[in-house]
Amino acid sequence: MQPNSLAGPLLTRQLRSGGWSYFGSQQSSVEATSLAVMALSTESPNAARSGFDQMLDLQRRDGAWPAFVGDSEASWTTALALCALNGTGEFTSAREKAFHWLVEERGREAHWLWRWKFKTTDRNVRFNPDKYGWPWISGSASWVIPTAFSVIAIKQFTVCNRSDASEERIRLGVEMLLDRACVDGGWNSGNSVVYGVPLRPHVEATAVALLALQDEQRTEMIQKSLSWLRQNAASVDSVSSLAWSILSLFVYQEPIGGLKNRLATVIGDGRNIRNNATLATAILALKCGEMIHPFEVLR
Amino acid sequence: MKLDRRRFLGSSVGVAAVAGATTEWVWPKYTVSFLRPHSSVAVLNAAEYSESIEGLLLDGLRLFRLQVLGRSILLKPNLVEDLPGPVNTNSTLIGAAARCFLRLGAVRVVIGEGPGHQRDTELVVQAAGLKPHLAERQIEFVDLNRDELRKVKLKANYSGLGELWLPRAVLESDFVVSMPKVKTHHWAGVTLSLKNMFGVVPGMKYGWPKNLLHWTGIHESILDICATVPIHFVIADGITAMEGNGPLQGSPRQLGKIVLADDPVAADATCARLMGFDPLRVRHLSEGGHFLGNLREDRIRMLAEEVGAPTRPFSVLPEFRYLLAVKG
Repeated sequence: MQPNSLAGPLLTRQLRSGGWSYFGSQQSSVEATSLAVMALSTESPNAARSGFDQMLDLQRRDGAWPAFVGDSEASWTTALALCALNGTGEFTSAREKAFHWLVEERGREAHWLWRWKFKTTDRNVRFNPDKYGWPWISGSASWVIPTAFSVIAIKQFTVCNRSDASEERIRLGVEMLLDRACVDGGWNSGNSVVYGVPLRPHVEATAVALLALQDEQRTEMIQKSLSWLRQNAASVDSVSSLAWSILSLFVYQEPIGGLKNRLATVIGDGRNIRNNATLATAILALKCGEMIHPFEVLR
Repeated sequence: MKLDRRRFLGSSVGVAAVAGATTEWVWPKYTVSFLRPHSSVAVLNAAEYSESIEGLLLDGLRLFRLQVLGRSILLKPNLVEDLPGPVNTNSTLIGAAARCFLRLGAVRVVIGEGPGHQRDTELVVQAAGLKPHLAERQIEFVDLNRDELRKVKLKANYSGLGELWLPRAVLESDFVVSMPKVKTHHWAGVTLSLKNMFGVVPGMKYGWPKNLLHWTGIHESILDICATVPIHFVIADGITAMEGNGPLQGSPRQLGKIVLADDPVAADATCARLMGFDPLRVRHLSEGGHFLGNLREDRIRMLAEEVGAPTRPFSVLPEFRYLLAVKG
């Protein structure tokens, strides 16, 4: 099945508001909508445009996005939304506001008091709290996926207009990702060793973290993580993990033909993929090499 | 009257105690109570996960005379990660429970979970072996991390969160069955039917893991969630349990039990006793015993076998040695 025909099910599930929910409810999700507009941007520009319109409606005054319609709090989806808008080259004001919000947002462990606590009394999780990134939701600690998407979004946005503040946040974010990497490469959700026991990496977290590190110096840890992903992507059968693996391995110029064939087989005509965020990610993965990669960083 | 230092300190302590009691009275920590005179628990013996579990479970459920005819049931198993070992509630037990409720007259069974660590829910469902059970009519899976959400005012105020966004599938269910895996937990001491309800908190809003609940206090969040989403029944998977550094990296422990209960506090207290722990030392259990259910043994009616102390208590991390029951 070609990615263009897979767009059909995604188009039929677009809400009147212009957005997409995860599973067919009327509650539009910023994650699902961001991924859907990226997936549909070339063959269904009108659908993508209504998606963008809804995203602009949902943006908060401070530049952040909530997780879904009806929510009012800022969330990690701001980074994903900025990636989607970056791909258009338009919406300058919305992107600038999102960028400024991202530069200010940080994990709770960034506060000196918590850093002190994690360095002195609370040592069950091994990590360096001086290296912090972005949380899923304000008021909690930094985690791998929101940090990785934030690093990508800022790197993309500042490709031609770097500032000290943006470079500092990118540096800290990259250091945080490398600090939280699992012992033998790859990433779990945010911790590497808990109570002295190394955690096992997750495919999706590893793929997204590697996307954020695509233009960094190929350290041994990045190399080990890439090997881990290459090896594990070959056996993973879930659509989301497979799609993120393809998107990530592609930017490292790894062969992805076999993985794309397997993904195409697993998703069939796409109608059984009920999660719209997953379907959109699968379309993006199948389009790798045929369109501008939405998470590519050109610096 | 001369106010010396001792009298001043004494008066201050007295004022603080009265103020504390008054605060509790004026602003109680919970606005609901699920307490009743007695709760029922049945501990079933099951050596392994086999097809015979369904018959055993059905017989066990019939002891409770559950009113599920025409009702929509939400089974909330504990599906956390695609890891080997006894990390997740066993799918044979989940499938058997789903079919049992249909046989008892339920109109629909939804298996709902929002894995706390792994964002790829499909991966967890696949790894847990749940897919074959979902092929049956009237049994469906809902990803609680991505379901439609509604904002709900919490019915207890231990965490200070005040309100939470919760999934529609949970809020619209007639009958919630918590199906925990019996495990030790390196932050909460144990993870049983009450802690299992962390999985109804949606990742799309609160992230993976649901870290905000850790910052506001694990025990406190458990109490607030369980006051707001009542658990109607418990089926705890203690056939192969987990001890040590649970809930993910612990060691398998063959317990050979399924614990059924019409009260989550009674269920968890029973599981804790089976693990060799003193339930009063589990903070969310001792506090939950005031309003979420019965903790005391004399209020728990055993429908099947009595709970004996294990030959060897579950191993725990050094920080949790205080949980171990003192042998009388």
